[in-house]
Amino acid sequence: MSVRYGRDLALDDVSLSVARGEAVALIGPNGAGKSTLLKAILGLLPLTEGRVEVLGQRPEDARERVGYVQQADTLDAEFPISVLRVVLMGRYRAIGWFRRAGADDRRQAMEALAEVGLADRAKDRFGTLSGGQRQRVLLARAIAQHAQLLLLDEPFNGLDATTTEILIEVLGRLRADGVGVVMSTHDLAVAHLTCGDACVLNRRRVAYGPIGEAITPGTLAEAYGSRAVQLASGATVVTTTG
Amino acid sequence: MRVLDQLSSPLIRRALLEAVLVGALCGAVGVHVLLRRLPFFTLALSHATFPGVVLAGILGVSVYLGGAVAALGLVLAVATIGSTRRLEASTATGVALAGAFALGVLLQSAQSSATRNLAGFLVGDILTVNAGDLAMTALFGLVVVVALAAFHKELVLSAFDAIGARAAGYSASRLDVLVLAIVALTVVTSIRAVGTILSVALLVTPALAARQWTTSIGRMMVLGAAFGAVAGVAGIAASAQWDVAGGSAIALAASGLLAVTVAIQQARSLPRRLGFT
Amino acid sequence: MFRLLVEPFRDAYMQRALVEIVVLSALAGVVSVYVLLRRLAFVGDALTHTIFPGIAVAFVAGQSLFVGALVAGLLSALLLTAATRIRGIDHDAALGVLVGAFFSLGVVIVSTQSSYTADLTALLFGRILTVDTAEIVETTGIAVGVLVVLGLTHKELVLRAFDPVTAEAMGYRTLLLDLVVNGLVALVVVAGVRAVGTVLVIALLVVPGAIARLVSERIGPMIVVAVGAAGLCGYLGLAASYEASLNHGVRLGSGSTVVVALTLAFVLTAALATLVRRWRRRPAASRPAIAASA
Repeated sequence: MSVRYGRDLALDDVSLSVARGEAVALIGPNGAGKSTLLKAILGLLPLTEGRVEVLGQRPEDARERVGYVQQADTLDAEFPISVLRVVLMGRYRAIGWFRRAGADDRRQAMEALAEVGLADRAKDRFGTLSGGQRQRVLLARAIAQHAQLLLLDEPFNGLDATTTEILIEVLGRLRADGVGVVMSTHDLAVAHLTCGDACVLNRRRVAYGPIGEAITPGTLAEAYGSRAVQLASGATVVTTTG
Repeated sequence: MRVLDQLSSPLIRRALLEAVLVGALCGAVGVHVLLRRLPFFTLALSHATFPGVVLAGILGVSVYLGGAVAALGLVLAVATIGSTRRLEASTATGVALAGAFALGVLLQSAQSSATRNLAGFLVGDILTVNAGDLAMTALFGLVVVVALAAFHKELVLSAFDAIGARAAGYSASRLDVLVLAIVALTVVTSIRAVGTILSVALLVTPALAARQWTTSIGRMMVLGAAFGAVAGVAGIAASAQWDVAGGSAIALAASGLLAVTVAIQQARSLPRRLGFT
Repeated sequence: MFRLLVEPFRDAYMQRALVEIVVLSALAGVVSVYVLLRRLAFVGDALTHTIFPGIAVAFVAGQSLFVGALVAGLLSALLLTAATRIRGIDHDAALGVLVGAFFSLGVVIVSTQSSYTADLTALLFGRILTVDTAEIVETTGIAVGVLVVLGLTHKELVLRAFDPVTAEAMGYRTLLLDLVVNGLVALVVVAGVRAVGTVLVIALLVVPGAIARLVSERIGPMIVVAVGAAGLCGYLGLAASYEASLNHGVRLGSGSTVVVALTLAFVLTAALATLVRRWRRRPAASRPAIAASA
């Protein structure tokens, strides 16, 4: 599968491609266009120039096989919905309009929950879980969808160590199964652990390629500007992410 | 124009004066209603004053007092209901609004007063405004204007940047309460002229029109007051001309003003949006 | 007690009123849950005001109020959906402007009649005691239609309410879903206008859902509770207003009595819920109180 696009304003002539089982990290400060990029892959935004191809199709047609995992803290914690039902939402497209979820859908949802280690919380209200657990549930939703391309928007923001480990593990397993991953993140360490490639951007593409080559003090300085500080040891620290 | 012929009538003169005062007051306060996203809450306030006014009528005290107390009650009710985390602000407001209004209607129907009072309360009865009402309007208007002027910069700051305001030492919640109190007072003041439901119209529409012309809050308030006053006069003129309800005509005039403003702004930006410089 | 609950309904007109209120409550109860999930209290209230000119025009022209309300209702749903979905405008302010403009238009239209205050009152507060069989049929028709649509689209509507971003990502057109929900709410307002009037129908659309949320954490049970609460309050409200008016000389409007019953039910439920919560937490750990700022 390949994804390629280019666009003015929010994104200026950025292109990248993701193959089966590959994972690309999107690195850049807030406002760099990472969310815009994800939305473009979903076909939710008009492009000024260039094109997007997802799984060999137009983005609008490929949506059933693209799983979008957003940040869990944007969701209302008081909403009267159970964990299982959240995961079941991933199956809605497959179930189709006017029909209800069946036993098979439930089974697939439970399996997805088990993959992220939360099968025992299926009946609890979504909001009663911790932030990290909720993020895992959203990932389980994309798994239940049997997505072949996963788009994750800052999934590791503010997560506890357990959840981070579990997420890294699950993403690794999914990659081994052939799922492609595009993930925006501020956490450079995690990016190295989960992704083979990286696209460093700030409106335009600063660097793209294997992660070891794409993320360097130089490229970070270029993307983050004054917020990237080079330490004496040669390492680069990004002081603030926004 | 009929209204010009009728200017000799004290009735019309009072109505005009009331319309100008109320229009200007609402236009200015409306800027803060918009700033703090209070239109729904203002609608609820206007419904909530109803039981207070009815009760005041039954007990024989000033309707303004009754309305004010009821408005206060609403603020408390919404805060209490909303503090249970399960129900968020708009639901809490909806429940409080419905309950308060039903209470008012119930009280009203328990007295066997003429239905005229009820409708007059809802849509205003500006043509029966007397000198006492005018005095109250002027007095409230003065109080509100002084309060707004005195606390202007704090109010603007806390609307845009609640955290910054608190950091600077202002108690943000006290300022919120101040604004709510001012809005409540304005609603109560406008009941005579435009009734409860339409007080929202006067509090939102002229201020929104003013917002299309300037970004300075102070200037917006002056412009909003001007638009409100113009709407007031136009409404009374229309009411005299075509023999329709006064308060509603004022609200319609305000809407018309807004529509004209939006049209002008759209027309001005059209060259730019079509690609010409 | 038995006498109070059954005697009011000996006469045909009270029986009709009861059927109407029960059907209406079932409908409003279900829809109010969605109103809660989507936070549509303001839109619902706005709808009650924007429908008014349609009723006013029908009234002045001597036509069926139902048709006037229906046309105005569907147009309003379109207009209000647009007002809340167009990017770049202040949605709250837009709703406020529309409420003001439309309601004043309605009043102006009605005021062209000479005896307008009495008519206005009836239009605004409803006349459930004069409801006839044809109206009951109309209400039932709307109820069936609305409930069928909700039943078919339930899971998509919940998804959109909970996570609109992902709903769009999955390919659902949230604009259309919003239009559908707003349209359904408009239909409930149309159905409720004759019973409780435009001003009080908002209570039927908001309070049952709120009561249900206090009682339950799952949507299914919430719907059951909402319908039950609405139906019960409808019944009790009717009975109470009859009793008060006939036997105690206190004229209580039926529509408003129903709404007051609903409000009391809410207050009771909230009090009970708070007590239950406190009792469950003993020895009490301090619970963070989050005050809402409106």
